[in-house]
Amino acid sequence: MTQKSMAEEMIEADVLCVGGGIAGLMAAIRAGELGASVIVADKANTLRSGSGGMGNDHFRCYLPEFHGPNIEPVIQDVKAGDAGTRPDSFIRTWMEKSSEIVKLWDSLGIPMKYNGDWEFAGHTFPGGIFSWLKYAGQNQKGVLTKEARRRGANIVNRVMVYDLLCDDEGRVIGAIGVHTRENRIITFLAKSVVLSTGRPVRLYPSTTPGWMFNRADSPHTTGDGRAMAYRAGADLIDMEIPMRWAGPKYFARCGKATWVGVLRDAKDQAVGPFVQRPDRRYGDAIADTYRTLFEDYIRSGKGPVYMDGRGISNDDYEYMMYWMAHEGNMGIFNHLKEQGIDYKEHPVEFTTYEIMTMGGIHYNEKGETSLKGLYAAGDEYRGNISCAAIFGWVAGENAAAYSRTGETAKSERIAAQIREKKELVERILAREKGATWQEANIALQQTMFDYAGTARFESILSAGYDHLKRVKKKAHEELAAKNQHELVHCLEVLNLMDLGELVFAGTLERKETREKYSRIDYPYRNPMLDGKRLVYKKGEGGPIVAWRQKKQ
Amino acid sequence: MPPIIDENKCLACGVCADICPQDVFFGSENGKAPVISYPEECWHCNACVSDCPVQGAIRLRIPFPMLICYR
Repeated sequence: MTQKSMAEEMIEADVLCVGGGIAGLMAAIRAGELGASVIVADKANTLRSGSGGMGNDHFRCYLPEFHGPNIEPVIQDVKAGDAGTRPDSFIRTWMEKSSEIVKLWDSLGIPMKYNGDWEFAGHTFPGGIFSWLKYAGQNQKGVLTKEARRRGANIVNRVMVYDLLCDDEGRVIGAIGVHTRENRIITFLAKSVVLSTGRPVRLYPSTTPGWMFNRADSPHTTGDGRAMAYRAGADLIDMEIPMRWAGPKYFARCGKATWVGVLRDAKDQAVGPFVQRPDRRYGDAIADTYRTLFEDYIRSGKGPVYMDGRGISNDDYEYMMYWMAHEGNMGIFNHLKEQGIDYKEHPVEFTTYEIMTMGGIHYNEKGETSLKGLYAAGDEYRGNISCAAIFGWVAGENAAAYSRTGETAKSERIAAQIREKKELVERILAREKGATWQEANIALQQTMFDYAGTARFESILSAGYDHLKRVKKKAHEELAAKNQHELVHCLEVLNLMDLGELVFAGTLERKETREKYSRIDYPYRNPMLDGKRLVYKKGEGGPIVAWRQKKQ
Repeated sequence: MPPIIDENKCLACGVCADICPQDVFFGSENGKAPVISYPEECWHCNACVSDCPVQGAIRLRIPFPMLICYR
């Protein structure tokens, strides 16, 4: 066995933002503006990383100029779509700040108006409230990166942060990461840390068997923030609740609300009641309220279901294509063009994508987690671009304020933690032969699919949980990486395995069926669980799950 | 497998390798046309195509499993 020696580096700051997506950059901008010294560590490059990397075209918000002086109907609309996962105070903060952030973005150079006016469309039911502002987000990451730098943030690209550092009282005081290209380990000492690393995308198998990277969301987001927060002792929530996306088949991609068309079955019947002909104001919101529609239609012998743009006016088609570019979906439309497929003549089949978890880090309307010094935003829990932008901003503000009172880390305590966390990386790099990260990721995905997929019941969950623990143990013992790229994937898979365990632990605990959650052996809602949620915490022998009353 | 680089057009500026979220260009060297070390990890996000300064120097080939289904 040859030991490859790693270079070491230490960087200090008031605020460390882990993940430079929309939330991380907004946190950096706000904290920098308030005078904090800020580092943004991104596994890729903040210019194109994260779920908003190639753009976005819809921003949920309340604008007095559009909605009038009364914010309440918009708050009620957001609340109704939220299905009770966020407390009222969170939704209120979100919508109250949204107007300010929309105007900030517009002033920075992310065009929030269309033809000189506020334009609301998509994700909307006829007769309902328009709360999704169309905006031109194609270059949003470039604009926000530039702005973060202008406000003094040090952006460190190509560094994957994989664990947090804590002091004796459990306060978060920094993090440790590996360079994704050079044999280097980086310790960040920070008075506060903002996590915004995105969704655990590669937890379940993709829509294409054997092909891990065909995903609705960017597959380089692997739930690293959730996993490191959990290991540091933070509360996670709702990991047992599944979430599904839907979109074009087989080119998996988010952005269904940008398609102008009607979802129709193979006999040309509209599958939902909301639109009967393509209408650019609405899209077809049946897929928002019923995302497993496509899967259910196949199972009941009525599929496939198509996004049907036949009959769309040229104006509406041009309008859709303009927003597709900003939503970041030109990959699909270039593909259609190359194949000679004209969307105006050919309906495109849609499908329900794989399961992912809705759950994540429990953070409040101040961006605070259950750990002192640790903040979270964006897709560390379910959200969208406007949620990421606003709570990134809020988390940055509060992290900066906390940093003013925070103490500098104690060096002897830190040294032991760094040594221990570094050893994990060194062991993986030192193995000349061993398991590949792909082997481990595929083993995890098949276990999740087979044992915590759509058929969930006690005996299958218990068997799967046991199997996953064995696979995880072997992964820790045998994973090997030939280079930094593979090392990053190994660390991602270990993070995903921790999160997979939580899904099993929570699903075993929630013995009921409600909304999108189902247990075959408990096919009924348990009223005793109304208003409660599962909270996950790290215990000595594994995850501890406990019921807690939801904050209203 | 994507992306595909036309070395006659490529300026070797390194932008694609710099920004690729999946780092499929891992191992590329400054001043040389990028290498595509991990084509199977491409997400087909189009960032390299969109940010390349030369039209047509880089394109994505969509692999068979991702072909769009339509009628």
